[in-house]
Amino acid sequence: MEPVTRRKFLVTGSVGAAGAATAFGTGWAMSAASADESALTQDEIDAVNGPLVVQVKDPAAGELEVLVGEREVVFTDKALAARLLRASQS
Amino acid sequence: MSSHREAPSILKDPLADNTDTYAFVTPNNTLTIITNYVPVQAPAGGPNFYEFGDDVTYQINIDNNGDGKADVTYQFRFENKITNPNTFLYNTGPIDSLTSANWNRRQTYSVTRITRRGTSELARKLACPPCNIGPRSTPNYAALADKAVYKLPGGERVFAGQRADGFFVDLGSVFDLGTLRPFQNLHLIPTAAADGRDSLAQANVHTIAIEIPIPRATQRDRIPRDPMAQDSTIGVWGAAYRQKSNIRDRDGKPSFAGPWMQVSRLGNPLFNEVIVPMSRKDEWNAVRPHQDSAFAKYVAQPELARLLPALYPGVFPNLQALTKDRADLLAILLTGIPAGLIPGFQNFTGTTQADVLRLNLAIPPTANPNRLGLLGGDLAGFPNGRRVADDVVTIELRAVAGATYPLVDPTFTPDAAVTAIEDGTFNNPGRQFLDKFPYLGLPYSGYDVP
Repeated sequence: MEPVTRRKFLVTGSVGAAGAATAFGTGWAMSAASADESALTQDEIDAVNGPLVVQVKDPAAGELEVLVGEREVVFTDKALAARLLRASQS
Repeated sequence: MSSHREAPSILKDPLADNTDTYAFVTPNNTLTIITNYVPVQAPAGGPNFYEFGDDVTYQINIDNNGDGKADVTYQFRFENKITNPNTFLYNTGPIDSLTSANWNRRQTYSVTRITRRGTSELARKLACPPCNIGPRSTPNYAALADKAVYKLPGGERVFAGQRADGFFVDLGSVFDLGTLRPFQNLHLIPTAAADGRDSLAQANVHTIAIEIPIPRATQRDRIPRDPMAQDSTIGVWGAAYRQKSNIRDRDGKPSFAGPWMQVSRLGNPLFNEVIVPMSRKDEWNAVRPHQDSAFAKYVAQPELARLLPALYPGVFPNLQALTKDRADLLAILLTGIPAGLIPGFQNFTGTTQADVLRLNLAIPPTANPNRLGLLGGDLAGFPNGRRVADDVVTIELRAVAGATYPLVDPTFTPDAAVTAIEDGTFNNPGRQFLDKFPYLGLPYSGYDVP
């Protein structure tokens, strides 16, 4: 599948339901809080060879859950949660 | 049924639906655990015959220290393969071996053992047998299925494939407002007496069976010899897991992401089916056994014990007067039976309330099993583990009706009707078990059973 940019992900992601993308490396969740916009390395891209699903569990609190492989990562990013919410309503 | 389609969510997901779990001591210092899935299979299931889910993780879990958490886990994962992409058929000729070129849709599986010491894959690419189709497609089914019993490096033997469902129950009667044989004439809405009808008499199921050297299941890697020692008893349950997210792409192929979530489990038969209220059955399937204290109140005051006197006026007066918490059922189903209640026996695992099938490994198998297990004086039968032929419906009906309450209150006298309660399906002549691993009978053939 063609790699998905963060911008594309934000457009296609959904809130409350599952939104899938494939381009985020496993370290993405930790760097998201600092709004890291730097380009993904090939290693980061290759680290995800299946769907990556983001669920906004609590939009107000900015609580996000990333499902990838057989793992889940829960983190807080109010700005990203807000952008996903607004994207879903656009 | 035992746990067939027993909860609102899992009834939509038969491949992950754990229908029965059996655990019993077998010869040569082994125990055998059997878990069944994919319930109520009509044998004539072509062209897409039944199979395990390649997107499901199946586990047999063993707790050997009484905390309700798995200490030894055997994990099974399946893969599907289509060998001929140009046919709609399951097979294009007789399947006379597990590598037959005529067999188009086949499954293999891996077995992984997980303990606190680590994880080890015991085997991979083990073949399941085909479903029992008929005399032309699977002409020598017994021999073919025998080939699908494998010996593993740790001494275990495994089998995964279709079998005749060993569970028997008169479902149509029980769920027609609690009709019990032979009391139909005493029901609020009486009918004439009739023989029991086994609702699963010709149904198949998919079975995962494993024979385990007992030291591979116990706390100190030993064979328990003292029935009264607490560490002689293990708790067993089967469970199925699906990944948290399932995405269906436009090409129709699903993809998955996230951790494995428990969607079905089973320790004691009928626990979720007739103890847990419908509003909490999905929750019960999702939580782990060590969290079962949240459901203890339904065991202490089982709804069925209130229904029996109401449905059969005057038949169960002593049960009707019994309003105390059912300490007998709490012990049998959630903690095990402590020492001092049954001479020479206990299967108490501690104070942690957990619905697991408790098996005292120091109780040897008997040459003369009684279908009523402990109620029939047979210490090797349910609820000390569960053998394939144990009449668990009758045992549990009698227990709920008060047969076991004298264990905790000798002044209580069960109603005379209790010993007459029968499910009425034990003597189904068509049901056959094997006297060897994997013990459940050969699956019914689709040619013979439409």
